[in-house]
Amino acid sequence: MLRTERLSLAYDQTPVVEQLSLSIPEGGITCLLGPNGSGKSTLLKSFAGLLTPQSGQVYLDDQPLEEWNRNRLARRLAMLPQKPIVPEGIKVRDLVALGRFPHRKWWQRDLVSDQNVTLEAMAMTGVVDLAERPVESLSGGQQQRVWIAMALAQETDILLLDEPTTFLDWGYQLEVLELLCTLNRQHGLTVIMSLHDLNQAAQFADRIAVLAGGQLEAIGSPGEIITETLINRVFRVHANVNLGRDGRPYCSGFAESAKENQRLRESDQSLSVSEPVQ
Amino acid sequence: MKGSMTAAQTTLPGNHPLTSSHTKLVLASGLCFVLVVVAGIQFGAVNLTWSEVWAGLTGESSRHVERVVFELRLPRTLTGVLIGIHFAVSGWLLQLLSRNPLAEAGILGISAGASLVAVIAFIIGDWVVSSGDPYNNTSFALQYLPMFAMAGGLVTALGVYFLGMRHGQLSPVKMTLTGAVIAGMLHALTTGALAFWGHAHTELVAQWLAGSLYGSEWQHLRALLPWTLIGLTGLAFLVRPLNVMQLDDQHARTLGLGLNGWRAFALLVATLLAASAVGVVGPVGFIGLLVPHISRRLAGADLPVQLVLCVLLGAVLAVLADLIGRTLFTPYEVPVGVVSAVLGVPFFLYLLSRQP
Repeated sequence: MLRTERLSLAYDQTPVVEQLSLSIPEGGITCLLGPNGSGKSTLLKSFAGLLTPQSGQVYLDDQPLEEWNRNRLARRLAMLPQKPIVPEGIKVRDLVALGRFPHRKWWQRDLVSDQNVTLEAMAMTGVVDLAERPVESLSGGQQQRVWIAMALAQETDILLLDEPTTFLDWGYQLEVLELLCTLNRQHGLTVIMSLHDLNQAAQFADRIAVLAGGQLEAIGSPGEIITETLINRVFRVHANVNLGRDGRPYCSGFAESAKENQRLRESDQSLSVSEPVQ
Repeated sequence: MKGSMTAAQTTLPGNHPLTSSHTKLVLASGLCFVLVVVAGIQFGAVNLTWSEVWAGLTGESSRHVERVVFELRLPRTLTGVLIGIHFAVSGWLLQLLSRNPLAEAGILGISAGASLVAVIAFIIGDWVVSSGDPYNNTSFALQYLPMFAMAGGLVTALGVYFLGMRHGQLSPVKMTLTGAVIAGMLHALTTGALAFWGHAHTELVAQWLAGSLYGSEWQHLRALLPWTLIGLTGLAFLVRPLNVMQLDDQHARTLGLGLNGWRAFALLVATLLAASAVGVVGPVGFIGLLVPHISRRLAGADLPVQLVLCVLLGAVLAVLADLIGRTLFTPYEVPVGVVSAVLGVPFFLYLLSRQP
């Protein structure tokens, strides 16, 4: 379904992604990992057809994304930005209903079938009870479920999420990831998301793609990717990787810079001793 | 996602229920609208009774009453209705479009651009058409001023829009700052143009620049009405896309919205409405700022209800302000722009203080 071929992306003249080729399996959960500025968000945006490639191409169903009409694309693929804007005063039900936009022409009103889909999406994410509440009044975790409901109301088979857990506390993070996992297993939704937490990626992903400096460093199953050498190379972290009971890896570590700082401090002291200030 | 869900069959809240509170709001605003329009016809330098007004409207009264009703009060009140709608709806659109609660034709420089071009057209028209006869130019000015004003407004709106972009995205802060600066510059140019060439009609133009309904006639109404109809038709198409435009730009695009096209269309409608009104009555501030806020406070997030309230309350504020302006200090007149600010601001502040 989604794949890129020698894809290069840039903002103005600054290259962000260079010559990247990868393919995303259908019906799985794919996580994009990588340090800040590695091009995760940019790559996700290009999957959503929001960026014109400098060279190379993104293909959906073997057709270049550029050839997809925006409306047709919106019925195939939904995206949840990292920091979506909540329209002032909007109620949960009305926000979720916005997901029906691509299914109606701009002069049409929502039909009963649209209302059913909206309600179904709210049921799947467990926000039916919040339907009449203003979105602004909800907790971060509830809001995130409402946004996912809106994306589900779009009735696409691909869902892109840009760091869906960033502004949530740990409990809500897991809740959102478990919800995505359920939607994937029960309804065959293809989930592609960027994450910061290696352990969460290892726990929930079927496939992990690691980006570094705008290039694909590695791609594979969590067991193949979450290794001490790779983590050290990409994240500059001395990691300790173990296998959990579910057979998935989990890791802990400390930053390389911590060690370097210590070494620097020691050498500073030795310098000041051996070379007195003149 | 094709999985069957039992919840879908259980409860089905209506998608767009015009809740009873919304119905009441619209009815109450409608009532205000009717009352204010009747009052606008009834009161003035000469106060008429209801029966006199009715007789005047049905043509069964004295020549004098008929003249007051038909030639003075009715065109003036109806022009007030239209400019109220124009400024309020234009402000509503601009605030939504730029995600900026301060946006309005005056603040974004659209009114100033419209004024400048209208004033220059007025001066040149005066010079070309009626050299030698300074009293011969009113019809020329009236017929074409809205056109010139709209041209000026559109050019300014485009400039502010493109200068307000940052990295290909509209930046509300940058757009507002650009608009304010450009508005200042255009005001200065307008004053300059008046000082240099406008001496023959400075008073007339100055009064127009203050935003006044003084001397509104049927021709004013005829010049405005087509634009009111065009603008409101455009808005009917815009409501659904506007709902989505409230989201983040890229988010809106992933919902299949052709963002640039719709935004340009919304900006065009907002500019045509504001600039055509400026062309007829001069730049009236505050209605475009206050009425959208009041409507939003009253209606909540429901855009169609907000729009209906904007139309009704915009007309109410303009007509009421004009009525007060011309009756309070008779025979002197306070321009509608001044009174609408004095009336609207306290109400606006009251609503702000009630904000949760």
